[in-house]
Amino acid sequence: MTAARKDRVKRRLIQQAFADNLDTIRGLPPRAVRPRNRNARIWMRRAPLLLLFLTLAGSTYLASNPTSVRDTIGPAKIVMNRPARSAGVPPTSIDPTPVTAAALQLSVRRVIVDAGHGGADPGATSLLNVREKDITLDIAERLEALLKKNGFEVVATRESDRLIPLRERARIANESNGDIFVSIHVNSIIKHTASHGIETYYLGATSDPTLTRLAADENRVSGYSVADLRKLLDRLYADARRGESERLADEVQRQLVGNLRAADPGLENWGVKRAPFVVLVATDMPAILAEIGCMSNDTEVARLHRPDYRQHIAEALFQGIHAYASVADASQKKGI
Amino acid sequence: MPEILHVGIDLGTSRSSISASNGERFVVDSYVGWPVDMVARKVLKRGVLIGHEAVSNRTMLDLHRPLERGLLKEGSEKDVEAVRELLKHLLGLVGVSNGGSVSASNVRAVVGVPAAALRTNKQYLRNSMKGIVDSLLIVSEPFAVAYGLDALLHTLIIDIGAGTTDFCVMRGRYPTEEDQRTLTVAGDSIDAQLLKLIEERYPEANVTVYMVREWKEKFSFVGKASQKVIVTAPVKGVPTQLDITNEMKAACESLLPPVNEMMLDLLARVEPEFQERVRNNIILSGGGGLTRGLPQALEAALNQVGGGKVRYMEDPVFIGSDGGLALAIDAPDGDWEKLSG
Repeated sequence: MTAARKDRVKRRLIQQAFADNLDTIRGLPPRAVRPRNRNARIWMRRAPLLLLFLTLAGSTYLASNPTSVRDTIGPAKIVMNRPARSAGVPPTSIDPTPVTAAALQLSVRRVIVDAGHGGADPGATSLLNVREKDITLDIAERLEALLKKNGFEVVATRESDRLIPLRERARIANESNGDIFVSIHVNSIIKHTASHGIETYYLGATSDPTLTRLAADENRVSGYSVADLRKLLDRLYADARRGESERLADEVQRQLVGNLRAADPGLENWGVKRAPFVVLVATDMPAILAEIGCMSNDTEVARLHRPDYRQHIAEALFQGIHAYASVADASQKKGI
Repeated sequence: MPEILHVGIDLGTSRSSISASNGERFVVDSYVGWPVDMVARKVLKRGVLIGHEAVSNRTMLDLHRPLERGLLKEGSEKDVEAVRELLKHLLGLVGVSNGGSVSASNVRAVVGVPAAALRTNKQYLRNSMKGIVDSLLIVSEPFAVAYGLDALLHTLIIDIGAGTTDFCVMRGRYPTEEDQRTLTVAGDSIDAQLLKLIEERYPEANVTVYMVREWKEKFSFVGKASQKVIVTAPVKGVPTQLDITNEMKAACESLLPPVNEMMLDLLARVEPEFQERVRNNIILSGGGGLTRGLPQALEAALNQVGGGKVRYMEDPVFIGSDGGLALAIDAPDGDWEKLSG
């Protein structure tokens, strides 16, 4: 590189470094994500007007053609849980009632199974050198087999000991058009090695500093900050996906705790929680992250080392997914 | 107009260094300790101890290592206070003090942080440095290294510190998340592994992580040992010589698989026409870069993809802070004023 070119490159680098610092001070997200945010903001601003227009147009069409819709569509597909409006009064605003997947008749066909960590990123490692990446991959493979055996389609984000960046995992999930996303991880709480438990996360902001820190740790390689993600959540998060993610998390957590306590009576139920994990925010479908054990507890590590215990975990995860899917299917059959 | 002092600071988990435009350079251990009680205070004759002095007197101190994986620990006021003390100490060493020749209001600082530091981490650091310097520019540590070496294009920097191993591909632009990676497998994880292996082999030896760290810094190697690693540690109170050659090799080599994989992964993402140039321009920095045999081991891994050249920097301790200083000096006044206060 010539001296003049080097000087030009240096000037540009300095400008970019200062611009990046000013963005941080102003609380702006990294430049790489900004265009997407801008588009999202534009659409979020326009969405109420668009919905209002569609609602008005739809009600006008229904009023003028009361039978044509029934003839072509059959039973009503979407029923909103809202009080009946007085006849002849057109809707004037968007109803804030959250829309559930049941209302939209969603069914679960394709499950994205995400084995946490991998390759150069071992995740939590126990003193016995049991690595989180190996445990998660093994359980993911077992879960995949169970799901396939029961008629689900499965897309795995990781099938070997490879490093897959979080963004890539989200891309795989979104491009595969998955119906739900299940990420498998193992906890490690160095300050509480005596206890062990299970917790399941779905996407959402949290005010708990421990969870913020946990999410920041898991999101470290993504380049986004927790503050950036909070902003994304505030603007982009849809009621249907959050509600469905919470329901999926509830089912999975219930099955995990219920099934695994038989093998481990001391297992603690740490509940369903919200945290802004990148894999959850960047995926387009209901998504959860299950912490299926604790690497910081020696007894638990010994259990995780056993194939039969890992099979138990995979079965519990499967039952959680199955329970969630059954409700969605039942809603569809009843035409709710 | 008062004279401006530019400084570059490498705020490290294990060691922190400062390079200043007045020619001063210092490195200190990133430890801060406060006397635990009045007796300790009387013995130590000071309210706060920093660096090696703090480690040496740790039995009398509430000792803090305020940086974790190269980042300021959040949620701990004591650690924030510790990092402020550490920064004030570093600046004091290069002549910055309230009553001294340079006041804090005339200092422009560039601080390097791990490549994958989040914006919240950076803002937290910025808040904690309020009042200590006039203007602060925070950049990724490997970027500071690259800038200092004029390695701005087709270069891969691998910065092996205590808390993190940072990777950054320089493409003539300010590195984005695509260009950088951070591994938490670094010096501290080698220490933990080495301690565990020594304890397994010599269960009766009394060894601490501080001793292990010192041994690693002296004898670390990968590949073939050029000599036996013999250290002295108390066994049942009796100073005893221990051969830890195999343990040292195993602990240091635990770094190789993740570093090799990350290096090859990043290289594979470089535009195909530039891959060979980047492969032949890999720079090792940070304390971990001093590990004997490491460049050769990385080059062996590069043979899988057509070979490459790994350079090792002679002065890895100051390479980050020197890079930060170069950036601080080159940045125009107008840019600095935007970050003032």
